[in-house]
Amino acid sequence: MTQNLILVGEALWKILAVGLLLGAGIPVLFSVGVRAMAFGAGGAAETSHEPGHPIGKVLAAVCFVVCLAVVAMGITWIVASGFGKTLSFEDIYPTIVDK
Amino acid sequence: MFTPRGCRFAPVETATVILVLVVVVALSFDFTNGFHDTANAMATSIATGALQPRTAVALSGILNLVGAFLSVEVALTVTNAVVNIQNKDGSPKPELLEGGGSALLLIVLAGLVGAIVWNLLTWLVGLPSSSSHALFGGLIGSTVAGLGWAGVNWNGDGSKIDGVVGKVIIPAITSPVLACIIATVGTWLVHKVITGVAQRFTDQGFRWGQIGSASLVSLAHGTNDAQKTMGVITLGLIASGHWTNTEEIPFWVKALCAIAIASGTYLGGWRIIRTLGKGLIEITPPQGMAAETSSGAIILISSHMGFALSTTHVTTGSVLGAGVGKPGASVRWKVAGRMVIAWFTTIPAAAFVGALMWWIGDLLGGGLLGALVISLILLGFTIAVMVRSRKNPVHAGNVNDEWDATEGADRTPAAV
Repeated sequence: MTQNLILVGEALWKILAVGLLLGAGIPVLFSVGVRAMAFGAGGAAETSHEPGHPIGKVLAAVCFVVCLAVVAMGITWIVASGFGKTLSFEDIYPTIVDK
Repeated sequence: MFTPRGCRFAPVETATVILVLVVVVALSFDFTNGFHDTANAMATSIATGALQPRTAVALSGILNLVGAFLSVEVALTVTNAVVNIQNKDGSPKPELLEGGGSALLLIVLAGLVGAIVWNLLTWLVGLPSSSSHALFGGLIGSTVAGLGWAGVNWNGDGSKIDGVVGKVIIPAITSPVLACIIATVGTWLVHKVITGVAQRFTDQGFRWGQIGSASLVSLAHGTNDAQKTMGVITLGLIASGHWTNTEEIPFWVKALCAIAIASGTYLGGWRIIRTLGKGLIEITPPQGMAAETSSGAIILISSHMGFALSTTHVTTGSVLGAGVGKPGASVRWKVAGRMVIAWFTTIPAAAFVGALMWWIGDLLGGGLLGALVISLILLGFTIAVMVRSRKNPVHAGNVNDEWDATEGADRTPAAV
């Protein structure tokens, strides 16, 4: 019983930490993208109705691409684990390896 | 037709007929699992209008189908988490195999009936309760009835997270809290970032984010949940001597389970979608995306760690968190309270029905007659629930109606 509780506790901390990083991080990054897009579009997109700043659009694109990449990685990971593989981050960039 | 227990001829044939009942009832459970959980992925996207209701359930159904086929990881030991009817390698306990395995088949069948009954009842009142917990509860009940309390695996052997305590009770209490924290933080930060952006602009952007995150949850759901039924059916096949390989699941089982869960998802449990999408909070696209991403991340991370959490508990916690995290938003705590009550009652209630069904089956000889009667009880109950649900139908057309406009909003979640 105690051993079980300790194991669950350890797992939960890890889930909370990584969950905060990805589960809260991605929507925040996405919202930075939306904000940057509005900054780029200007006018009716922002409550201040300032003229658009082109740099905003570039920044927005970067944010959205990173979000997409993380989600794509998530899907790859689900699919890979279906084939008995997993994603490894040993080389920093993700690679598909055997489990 | 009825062969009494201990009869010299035909015990194997009897077991085969019971096996067919187990397969059909298991697939029915998988189907209820599908429509019970459509809401987890799609309720928030339907509520904010990111997806049309019909499109949402179709998308979720397809992704569940794909996900179910991807789950090749052997889920044969699914019952080991809570009861002792299988060995470590997934083969059934030999003492349960007398008479062509009908002792084990009756336990599994009674457990499945308990799970389905609870899923149907909670669907009727529009409560998102965990289908995995219903299955575990049903199996615990029928095992206790059949084998006594010693048949329950409470804690495992301490070498890994295991047993009713480790895999069911603690996760049930902690995972919604975890999801709520992550979604609260996400939602709060998102709203800090987007201040100053016109609402129409943010809503449009975040609808895309919602579709992406909801799709991820659907896919993960297919891989997680369809496996359980595959494991149960394969266990029945092994017990009755129709399959021997404990390393693999027959392809037809996989295909049927995938189709069952996907078509259930496509049917859409509109009552539950309504509660989760409209009942808890008035959800906006940024909140929807924050909630769904939090759910998706937690489900994937936890199953990566071999510690699968209930999709339902995680999603409900996330939606609550999205309500808490948005400045000025309110949560209908009364609705949340009803959900929490449903979570705590799922295991005992499904266990009670599972045990009752086993006793009825055993009283009738524990063979074919018993199995037939409890299957018929299930059929009768299903029809009764369907008829009752006609009184206040919820469907794609009224799923998004104003919650508070409903008469007695905190009691009946459905529009009349």
